[in-house]
Amino acid sequence: MTENNTVSNDSSTTAESGGEVKHLSYGTLIARRFFRQKSAVAGVVIFILLLLFALFGGKICKWSYDDPDFMSISEPPSAEHWLGTDPGGLDLFALISHGLGKSMLIGIITSVATMTIAALYGTAIAFFGGWIERVGMWILDMLLVIPSFLLVAMIVRAANAKAGWIWLIIGLTAFGWVGYARIIRTMALSLRERDYIKAARFMGVGSFKIILRHLVPNLASMIIINTVLGVVNAVASETALSYLGVGIKLPDTSLGLILQTGASTTQTAPWIVVFPSVALVLLTFSMQLIGDGLRDALDPNSAANGQVNA
Amino acid sequence: MMNAHKKNKQMDSILTEGNGEIIHDDILANELREAHGPKGAPQGDPIMQVRDLHVSFATEAGVCRAVRGVNFDLWRGRTLGIVGESGSGKSVTALSLIGLLDDNAKVEGSIRMNGVELIGRSDEEMSTIRGENIAMVFQDPLSALTPMFTIGDQIAESLLTHHPDMPKDKVHDRCVELLGLVGIPQPEERLKSFPHEFSGGMRQRVMIAIAIANEPDVIIADEPTTALDVTIQAQILEVLAKAQKETGAAVVLITHDLGVVAGAADDILVMYAGRPVERASIDDLFEKPSMPYTMGLLGAVPKPHVAANQRLVPIQGNPPSLVDIPSGCPFSPRCPLATPECSLEEPNLEPVDDSQGHLASCRRLKEIVDKDLKYTDVFPIPDAVRPQWAEMPRDQRPVTLDVEHLVKHFPLKGGGMFRRTVGKVAAVDDVTFSIRQGETLALVGESGSGKSTTLMEIMNLMKPEAGRITVLGHDLAEIKNRAERKELRKDLQIIFQDPMSSLDPRMPIYDVLAEPLRAQHWNKDDINHRVGELMELVGLNPDYVDRFPSQFSGGQRQRISIARALATDPKVLLLDEPIASLDVSIQAGVINLLEDLQAKLKISYLFVAHDLAVIRHISDRVAVMYLGQVVELGETQEVFTHPRHPYTKALLSAIPVPDPKIERTRSRIILSGDMPSPAENFAGCRFASRCPIKPTLSEEQRKMCESKRPVLTGDELNDTQFACHFPLDVDEAAF
Amino acid sequence: MLKFIAKRAANYVVMLYVAISFTYFMASAFMTPRSNYESRTPRPPQASIERTLDLANINDHTSVFVRYWHWLTNIVTKWDWGLSPSLESVNKALAPRILASTELVTLSTVLSIVLGVALGIYTAQRQYHWQDRLFSTLATFFLVIPSAVLALMIVLIAITVNDAAGFRIFYVTGLSSYSGDNLLLRFGDFLQHIILPTISLTLLGMVSYHLTQRTYLLDEMHADYVRTARSKGLTRKQAIRRHALRASLIPTGVNVAFSIASVFTGAVITESIFAINGLGRYFITAINNNDINASVAIAAFGGACTLVGALLADIFSAWLDPRIKMS
Repeated sequence: MTENNTVSNDSSTTAESGGEVKHLSYGTLIARRFFRQKSAVAGVVIFILLLLFALFGGKICKWSYDDPDFMSISEPPSAEHWLGTDPGGLDLFALISHGLGKSMLIGIITSVATMTIAALYGTAIAFFGGWIERVGMWILDMLLVIPSFLLVAMIVRAANAKAGWIWLIIGLTAFGWVGYARIIRTMALSLRERDYIKAARFMGVGSFKIILRHLVPNLASMIIINTVLGVVNAVASETALSYLGVGIKLPDTSLGLILQTGASTTQTAPWIVVFPSVALVLLTFSMQLIGDGLRDALDPNSAANGQVNA
Repeated sequence: MMNAHKKNKQMDSILTEGNGEIIHDDILANELREAHGPKGAPQGDPIMQVRDLHVSFATEAGVCRAVRGVNFDLWRGRTLGIVGESGSGKSVTALSLIGLLDDNAKVEGSIRMNGVELIGRSDEEMSTIRGENIAMVFQDPLSALTPMFTIGDQIAESLLTHHPDMPKDKVHDRCVELLGLVGIPQPEERLKSFPHEFSGGMRQRVMIAIAIANEPDVIIADEPTTALDVTIQAQILEVLAKAQKETGAAVVLITHDLGVVAGAADDILVMYAGRPVERASIDDLFEKPSMPYTMGLLGAVPKPHVAANQRLVPIQGNPPSLVDIPSGCPFSPRCPLATPECSLEEPNLEPVDDSQGHLASCRRLKEIVDKDLKYTDVFPIPDAVRPQWAEMPRDQRPVTLDVEHLVKHFPLKGGGMFRRTVGKVAAVDDVTFSIRQGETLALVGESGSGKSTTLMEIMNLMKPEAGRITVLGHDLAEIKNRAERKELRKDLQIIFQDPMSSLDPRMPIYDVLAEPLRAQHWNKDDINHRVGELMELVGLNPDYVDRFPSQFSGGQRQRISIARALATDPKVLLLDEPIASLDVSIQAGVINLLEDLQAKLKISYLFVAHDLAVIRHISDRVAVMYLGQVVELGETQEVFTHPRHPYTKALLSAIPVPDPKIERTRSRIILSGDMPSPAENFAGCRFASRCPIKPTLSEEQRKMCESKRPVLTGDELNDTQFACHFPLDVDEAAF
Repeated sequence: MLKFIAKRAANYVVMLYVAISFTYFMASAFMTPRSNYESRTPRPPQASIERTLDLANINDHTSVFVRYWHWLTNIVTKWDWGLSPSLESVNKALAPRILASTELVTLSTVLSIVLGVALGIYTAQRQYHWQDRLFSTLATFFLVIPSAVLALMIVLIAITVNDAAGFRIFYVTGLSSYSGDNLLLRFGDFLQHIILPTISLTLLGMVSYHLTQRTYLLDEMHADYVRTARSKGLTRKQAIRRHALRASLIPTGVNVAFSIASVFTGAVITESIFAINGLGRYFITAINNNDINASVAIAAFGGACTLVGALLADIFSAWLDPRIKMS
């Protein structure tokens, strides 16, 4: 069940009679509605723990992710190597800490960049309408026809190992925004017909100002939610590409790459696959929980606002 | 009757288990005395009895007590009108009768049909009587029919659900019969149509056909005409009356429109905050309303049939939230008669007049009855602001907005990727009117008549497709650049219908009001000063400027819209149905505000509305539109008393008047069919296909109607202009 | 009706052409087949490198437009999609891989649709009950789990089961290992191979059908016309089954049609983990071999599938929903 906005309901009934109502700022209201949900709080806690692990994991571990211990190859977890080692003698704890950081970095930057492009493109073609919209939509449809996964793989494969993660972000962003732009356009279309947009136009407010002051703020909640959920997709794509050997390359590492290393030894050294899997699932799951929580807190349509329509 | 071979495939009707025992109590005894209606006192046993009905919902905000102690009985052949504003609990009451409330509703009390208790029944048990013994017609006909099934299938389903053995040809015959009964032409062919091929009025007819398919004992009509135009409303009310006659069912008519009940109901129950506050026979209620709320409602409604010689009396404040009902009488915070004692205890329904079964719930009822208080005694009529400049004759005042022969076509798009233009629709075709300073011109017409398109054409400030628009002396065709256009925007503003969508939910009120000023490059201090001024001008506390629109009620939001429109001190204000989405008791306050503002600020109003009563009250002149054309233009008073165009006359005759005696004696012109599509080509008069006068004309005259387009002209009989070859005489009264 | 489909199809063909051409130029820009030979030890003679590259029409010393024109003419006139850097025909390599992918994905697609839609319908009718909460949580889990992780976990579990049973119940690589003539044994062998990748793909695929079908049905369940149906005397369950369900299946049908494309490109990970020589794996090989022509052919196949799906979706929704007119 979703929470609703009790504050606005109370005040709307008392405002006329002149009774002063405690006015909560919008931010406080959203925060209150967000933290009321246990699952969302759980998501935040998991995410913070993962972030701490990614930031400081390398510092508390005496092994470095690129410093192999040739005395222990594919060793199970022990006091020396907390999560065991991989076939190259690298410490898994250090590897996962570094790989998690890289996956988070790629996921977050990609998602933010993707949504920025999508928001600008989507609102612009919706607001201007006419032939701009028609051509804009045709391009979107056309880009959806190309299997983007293939193109990203192609671009990243061509990059060198060190800059690989940057090219990965560029590739994922270049082909990831298309679907979101369509969604944002649909939402902006319904906003375009709102009376307050018309009213602003009739007051002589400029197009660019209307987009910035009315359209974007009213889509903000949707953009924020999709940015958070977009991290899940970006991480999944990164994992898949790295796993296939066309993403992050050695000596750099990411969770997908560790999985690839472990895949060949699932029978003899299952921990190499299990630990990064757990980290990955915790990361994507926590982002999903946060995203769902934000959706319920931000979306005014997620619950009736307490009014009875009799 | 079909009841003889009634069989249900799931289970037997629960009504068969009853012994038909009727509760004989004071409530019933009282109702049997209600005789001041067209049908006299009720006879025999009631078919349905509702006692002490309570409905509550658990919501996030708390427990919402939607219905609190409703009692009534229904008799076959009689109509009970339940009247109330939004949030009064009337629709919840209706849904609880038929058992269609949501699962989170808690229903207590007793609802008996033929003596059988219905409360506490499972969905399966209730389904044996739904559609068979009790049926319902919903408010919004556009969404009430399943879009994927044909009309025929949907009517047949209601027959086959209760009579699975009915042979196919019989089902078909009955469907055709039902469609014919509700007045759908060519019923045989229309059976195969899908809902989207029907207009709103036609769909509501289908809904009525579905409701009466099994000849139910009770028909519940929940705001059946609210979503429809006034001429279609008249048609539907007639079909409903016919359906009642045909089935002999008891009808519960739920509405907020006092005019609708005045013509259709026998008894009335007025609800406020989930409770009945007054109940009487129809004539008693309109003649001597005794609860201050009822008085207020009757006083707040503009009357279409009398000249507007006094101001409307608004009821202060808003209805309470059902989650947080104030202690004592829920109306007391808004009641002019309220004393501190009123908020101590909630009064019950008590007899106003023992012999007539008239009940009202007010702590000061005795006083009201003894002193015979009328609504003018309870609600003092507010003083109007007298405009100083009104002395100046109309023709000496400057013309602020002039529209001549305006035309606007919309392209008709084909399907597919490259949507090619396959034709065009004349949304506006020959609109002519002019407004002078300080004057209100009403633009009236049904949906699809081109009112809103006309407004948008003016607001766009672009050269029209054809014809001429002149705003404050500037011909729009001669405006050269954006800067000039922006300069003109300062003097021309608009107010929209829906206060929910006309304010950006993410903007605090301060920014909402500052936006037009910033667009005109005012400086910060001036804006600050002006925002405070505007809040006071529209009667809102200036301290509320940092709140968001969602924290205001509908009426307050509309005041904010008005304040925003007035920000740059415009000379012309366009109002697009500004009060249509407000509750009756709130409407009067907004109308009065608009009148005061005009008197103070000398603004011209172009007031678009479909509600003729409001128009008669507020406007000086009126332009009647039909299918994109202005068909009659003149002084409001003259048009309402002596309509010259047959469409104007039909429109006026279709408005329900909130006076049962007038309603009963009036003869109504019911227009046949729907407004034709504007995509059609009309060689002659656009109204010819529905014109009630045309059949009375000679062959030659009829040819003229069909071949020659009438233009707006006048004659020596009065000052009104009309677009009709054969106008009506001035001695024909409209009401 | 035919005119509508023809118009749509024509637009899609134009779209496909632009998309494939775009891919061709991208692939030519980012792939360097020359490096395949230049990094070889011993390095082949320069003339032979040039000759091989010229034969495959992938020599970067030739203008990309010339190569493009040559490539396009061959496709249009001979339906020849070109050669790989090692001069093998792309057409020949593609066909068996499409077959293998089809074998793999058909079963799992059907299963995900049937199970996902059924689960969506089931949970929508039990909104706020524990069944809905349980399945929604599970669905969220499978929604976010990266496919590589899921497939590897399934492999781990299968190995554990095999070890516990003491003999091989599940094969974790390939599509077949039996080479005899006994049809029954052959089929059994096929099942042993296909079951794990099928489970993996089904779990990933059914989640979206479950969640979307649930949303669509919930939307329709509260529609006014369902209330009308109940007011006629249908019970809530009957009204949902006869009225709401049908409306809610329309968008699902559109999704199914669209999913045809992702069926082939979405199985890359699963094919690699279970070592199935399908289209996805071929694509990875093509990328790693700088095989421009094969990559573009695979992209073209994926794009064509998408558009066939889109066309089917158009036809399907127009057929089911009387409100959509095909003019």
